[in-house]
Amino acid sequence: MQLKADHGAIRRQLMLASCSLLGVATARAQQAGDAAAPVDTSEQTFESAISYYHEDGRITAIEPMVSLHSDDGNGTQHTLSAVFDSLSGSSPNGALPSSKPQTFATPSGSSLNSTAQTYTTASGQSTTSVAPTYVVDAGQLPVDPKYQDMRVALSALAQQPLRAFDRWRFGGTLSWEHDFLSLAGNAGYSRDFNEKNTTLSAGLNEEYDLLKPIGGAPVPGSDYSLFQKQGNKNKNGVGLQLGVTQVMTRRWLAEFNVTADRFSGYLNDPYKIVSILDAQGNTTGYVTEKRPGERLRRSAYLENRVAFDRTTVTVAGRYMNDDWGVHSSTLEANLRWWNPDHDRYLQPSVRWYRQSAADFYTPWILASTGNYSTLETADARLGAFHAATFGLKYAIKISRTGSLPGQEPSEFNVRLQVYRQDADQKRANPTALQDIELYPALRAVMLQVGYRFAY
Amino acid sequence: MDPKELLQGGSLQNPKTATDPKGAMTRIRLDPTRLRALVLLALAPLAPLHAAPTLELAALRGQVVYVDFWASWCVPCRHSFPWMRQMQQAYGANGFAVVTINVDHDRVDAERFLAAYGPGMDVRFDPEGNLAQQYGVQGMPTSFLIDRQGRKRFLHKGFVGSDTPTYEQQIRTLLAEGQPAASPGSTQ
Amino acid sequence: MKNAMKGRRRPWLAAALVAGATTAMTLGGCSSLAGQVGVKPWQRELLSRQDMQLDADPLDAAIDEHMYFSKEASSGGRGFGGGGCGCN
Repeated sequence: MQLKADHGAIRRQLMLASCSLLGVATARAQQAGDAAAPVDTSEQTFESAISYYHEDGRITAIEPMVSLHSDDGNGTQHTLSAVFDSLSGSSPNGALPSSKPQTFATPSGSSLNSTAQTYTTASGQSTTSVAPTYVVDAGQLPVDPKYQDMRVALSALAQQPLRAFDRWRFGGTLSWEHDFLSLAGNAGYSRDFNEKNTTLSAGLNEEYDLLKPIGGAPVPGSDYSLFQKQGNKNKNGVGLQLGVTQVMTRRWLAEFNVTADRFSGYLNDPYKIVSILDAQGNTTGYVTEKRPGERLRRSAYLENRVAFDRTTVTVAGRYMNDDWGVHSSTLEANLRWWNPDHDRYLQPSVRWYRQSAADFYTPWILASTGNYSTLETADARLGAFHAATFGLKYAIKISRTGSLPGQEPSEFNVRLQVYRQDADQKRANPTALQDIELYPALRAVMLQVGYRFAY
Repeated sequence: MDPKELLQGGSLQNPKTATDPKGAMTRIRLDPTRLRALVLLALAPLAPLHAAPTLELAALRGQVVYVDFWASWCVPCRHSFPWMRQMQQAYGANGFAVVTINVDHDRVDAERFLAAYGPGMDVRFDPEGNLAQQYGVQGMPTSFLIDRQGRKRFLHKGFVGSDTPTYEQQIRTLLAEGQPAASPGSTQ
Repeated sequence: MKNAMKGRRRPWLAAALVAGATTAMTLGGCSSLAGQVGVKPWQRELLSRQDMQLDADPLDAAIDEHMYFSKEASSGGRGFGGGGCGCN
């Protein structure tokens, strides 16, 4: 039993360490006397990854994450994850390029007047400052050049078996940014049928978001140059999901689920505006975007996994539509291709996506329409476009000394993805903007490195 | 051969539109080929199942037997094997035996598992799952305890680490039966 | 534009019907059709493979979800539960 004894000691130490990390009750003490102590069937998995995301000429983001998962071998599981996100670069503000230079205020600014102002403080000291603005050259897409954001998110999930054939789970997530706070909770229930060939699941989730935009949230649909602000805003979301997982054959597993969610509150992007153009296409002003106060979304998702001797194929599709007029289709597929020794794999992947524009999506507003307090947004995320992602992942499995057959070996992986988004249903350029690209394609590259081990 | 064909001697046709001048629809033709097929069909239920295995436990009558259905891909089995070996060592002298039945598709996977977790264990191989089907295995792993008289007494669906003291108590109870001279406390 | 879209086929309804039919079929339990779909508990060697789990790569999924959420109007959709070795 030499092998088992050494292995057990190390595992027990690691488990104690991870248990204190998770706050879960520590391992049962060895009972003195008669019967041998209960057998420890638990297993922990540590997983980490860091991803680097870069959009052509725009945002760069770095995102490290860690996740710790523990399974007691009989259905009780706990997961704790942490993500840190750092974004920087330039982000489009929704305005259109113009034939003349344009001046915008940075989010903390409240004036487009860039001449120096003198202020006298209570103690009699005088300071001079310039209202923060940025200028965009003629023909350039207006972007806020100093966009910066940092985010920390923590989430926890616990799953408990109820009887031999069902289980429930509940979890929460907390996400902090300097101008945004999100709190979410979820609960779910699953039940097996047909000798565990069929599993039905139901899930509920609730989210509360607090927006604290720098300078205050703008009044939606108002004149941008007036800088009418409202302070902090919030929004609420609730979602329901129903799913069925079915073992189709020895090598084919299928999952189908439907989801519906409803968000209400301040659903606008506080940093986005829409350009107002005259008949020739010259910018005459801007209006802050205005979205409805409610959004109801429905989606259906189907995933299939098929196992072959040295490959695993996954094909999934999703259809979504909402009451803003957006409907979308997604199709993704990947193939995991193992080497004969089953210690390395290559995984090419592909994803196609297409969405229609929201009813109130409008790249610009004509001055002649007069009233601008109707619903409007020039946010490209709500426009019509199609997108494709191509990815390649390579992984190496490393068996650690002392690990036994059947135990999941450690994995080191690297993944590269390229994403491209092209606008659809483009409006004809106004005369003054004839030679300007109003719908630039979005190109992004994502590189990710990860490491995982079980103990 | 379609059984209906044997009795009707021709293709299934509406009697009114049949073109068989001899009225074959109403006559049973039994040529040698058809006769042989008919006899085989009639006797089919009596034929033994193709290589139907049986769990030969007669040699272990008088002992308490722990029968365990396992597979190399069954995660809890990595823990149940060391425990079964522990029980075998502790109670083997009292008449306790462990019989494991492997249901792996590929023998190679089973051998690899045994090399690491269970050398020296009694393993029977059931790759087609016939024994598993016979014994009504509903989940992996499944084990049951058979008493000294050969009756099934306890069934364990799955291997639950925290229940092993209970499993051990069941073994002791069965060992105590039919052997009043041996005290259960002697193994402490 | 929006009204023209609404007048076309309703994939939403088709999807719901397929889901309903699949669920009814598989919940049939002892019905011969449902009896055909699925495997015996001792035939799950391929389903127990790590790469056959629906949550095989949770960090990949989280990174992708974050990327697409910030660039597109749709998000989420994946479920939880089911598959695997079915042990214990």
